Amino acid sequence: MKPNRSFWLLISPLMLWMIAFLILPYCRILIQSSYTVGEFGALKTDFTLDSYNRFFSKELYYGTLLKTFGLSATVTLCALFLSIPLAYYIAFKAKRNKILLYTLIILPLWVSYIVRAYAWKIILGEEGVLNSFLMYIGLTNQPISVLLYSDVAVIIGMTHIYTPFVLMPIYTAFEQIPKSLVEASKDLGAGRWTTFRKIVFPLSLPGIIAGGTFAFVLSLGDFLAPILLGGPNTLFIANIFQNMFGTSNDKPLGSAIGIILLVIVILVLEVSSRAEKRFSSLES
Amino acid sequence: MKNSILSIFALAFMGLITSCGNGSTTTTAADSKDKFKGKTLNILCWEGYADAKFTKPFEDMTGATVKGTYFASSDELIAKLSAGGGAVYDIVTPSPDMAQALVEQDLVQPIDLKKITHYDSLAPILRSMQDVVKNGATYGVPFTWGPDYLVYNADVIKETPTSWNILFDPKYKGKVAVWDDISSIYLAGILNGDAKTDKGEIYNMTDAQLAAAKKKLMELKPQVRKFWTSAGELNDLMKNKEAVVAVGWPLTPATLKKEGMNIKGIIPSEGATGWIDRLMITKATANKELAEMFIDYITKAENIAKVADVTGYSVANNGAARYLSAEQLELTQMNNTQYYFDKLNFWQYVKARNKYNEVWNEVKGGTK
Repeated sequence: MKPNRSFWLLISPLMLWMIAFLILPYCRILIQSSYTVGEFGALKTDFTLDSYNRFFSKELYYGTLLKTFGLSATVTLCALFLSIPLAYYIAFKAKRNKILLYTLIILPLWVSYIVRAYAWKIILGEEGVLNSFLMYIGLTNQPISVLLYSDVAVIIGMTHIYTPFVLMPIYTAFEQIPKSLVEASKDLGAGRWTTFRKIVFPLSLPGIIAGGTFAFVLSLGDFLAPILLGGPNTLFIANIFQNMFGTSNDKPLGSAIGIILLVIVILVLEVSSRAEKRFSSLES
Repeated sequence: MKNSILSIFALAFMGLITSCGNGSTTTTAADSKDKFKGKTLNILCWEGYADAKFTKPFEDMTGATVKGTYFASSDELIAKLSAGGGAVYDIVTPSPDMAQALVEQDLVQPIDLKKITHYDSLAPILRSMQDVVKNGATYGVPFTWGPDYLVYNADVIKETPTSWNILFDPKYKGKVAVWDDISSIYLAGILNGDAKTDKGEIYNMTDAQLAAAKKKLMELKPQVRKFWTSAGELNDLMKNKEAVVAVGWPLTPATLKKEGMNIKGIIPSEGATGWIDRLMITKATANKELAEMFIDYITKAENIAKVADVTGYSVANNGAARYLSAEQLELTQMNNTQYYFDKLNFWQYVKARNKYNEVWNEVKGGTK
């Protein structure tokens, strides 16, 4: 098919948008990452790999990146463990309240991110709802301080915030599994667990991978939850990134971190999209 | 071919970005209230400096709108000022670690002191400082000053602390809040005795001193509940008793006292750092006349007293003391300025600011 005028008319707003607000800013970041910085963050238009060199030679930077990987992976696992049973229940077990349950999961997305993070502050604080409750029922007589201003708090907050993103593709994947396959499996004598393991799980794998990718990539770039809920030891790579632009005035290093993160995210997306294709057995 | 089109786009786009923000207009002198109607005075300032208690009367007087944007560290000030392209803000309130830099960087303009009618009633000791004077022109009008001192919950800590060592007391493990700023390195320097012979040394540390400061801060870290990033956050931490002792500004006791909490502040025996905030007019402002009017308005004794009331800071016009209660005088030390002034180690420009910032990030990241 040869693209005609209406094709270009339809595509051009999107293209302009992408070029102006995605491609060009990325170009700018890429160019900026090779600059050096003078006093007061004044940019010097050099061309060096100095910033990248600093990133990979200082533990502060690459170490924080690795630590961020670990925390993001934890968030992803937590979100998956919550989402899979929940999506399973909504897709296969719930009858009348299906829409209601699904809406309840999506509902938090309509509330601002910051409000949700602050809500966790109120719940997890030393004088917060959870600690007060635990002390009231006598499970502990001292407030548990690790619940807020710690990595644990960040993981709890992010898991809550990103679970809807994980649940949605998994739920969709479950929904697409023909009920007849499940029934056939049961007819042939497989129990619930075997059916899940051999039929439902493999068929929904693309959805699970997509959901996991969402959670991982989103938490990799999150800087707000660590600021609001994190403790003195919590430092995500996105915090350093924000710090380079917001306080340290080291835009070249900040840009380099941005490019490194971008490359990592593209790699993750590529691997995950290949995995999705590899495991999507339904279409074939 | 594709590449060249892309680079043309890129050039055009960058041109667009850089050309924004050079627009400035000149105002003509005509005195009427309507003149400033619809105008907005943008103030880039520390928390508390754009409170409605004193901006509202100015708005009523001029018909203009006053909009405050807070920054929570000197580095953030520079970042916001340069990111805004210059013309966004009319007034900035830098501390002495940045004031001179703003003058040197040509980001602010000389102030016509004849327009500031209350200038002569401001404290001479503040007016005489030379860091904001260049080629005989004055770039900054003294506004407020105060300490980064020890803030504590007097209901929990009954005995008045005398030393910063209370931050390291195992009794208060996990109950300490420290500012997320390189000024924490200054404090570590004071605790390491770096400021004993030369007060300015903590702003110009050697690598060995910086390493020692980092070690001190790493020792402190297990005690810390949270590195606070804004006074608002510190207030919340103290209010929810997540922290009972902190490094903070008088703004915290001033705010929380009004909410019925028994929060106090003290300068420990080792001393404390302090700051003098100036009012400056940005180079690129389009509202110079309005900015001058605001500076004139806010330095008037009865108006600046309201600033003291909101923030708990000492203010530049000693005449404000008349408008303050005994309790406010105590908190702002306006009854005792010289004594208080002498106890503080005022911030200076830090040449190796990037290095300080990196050390501070390393403290937070817990790495070498």
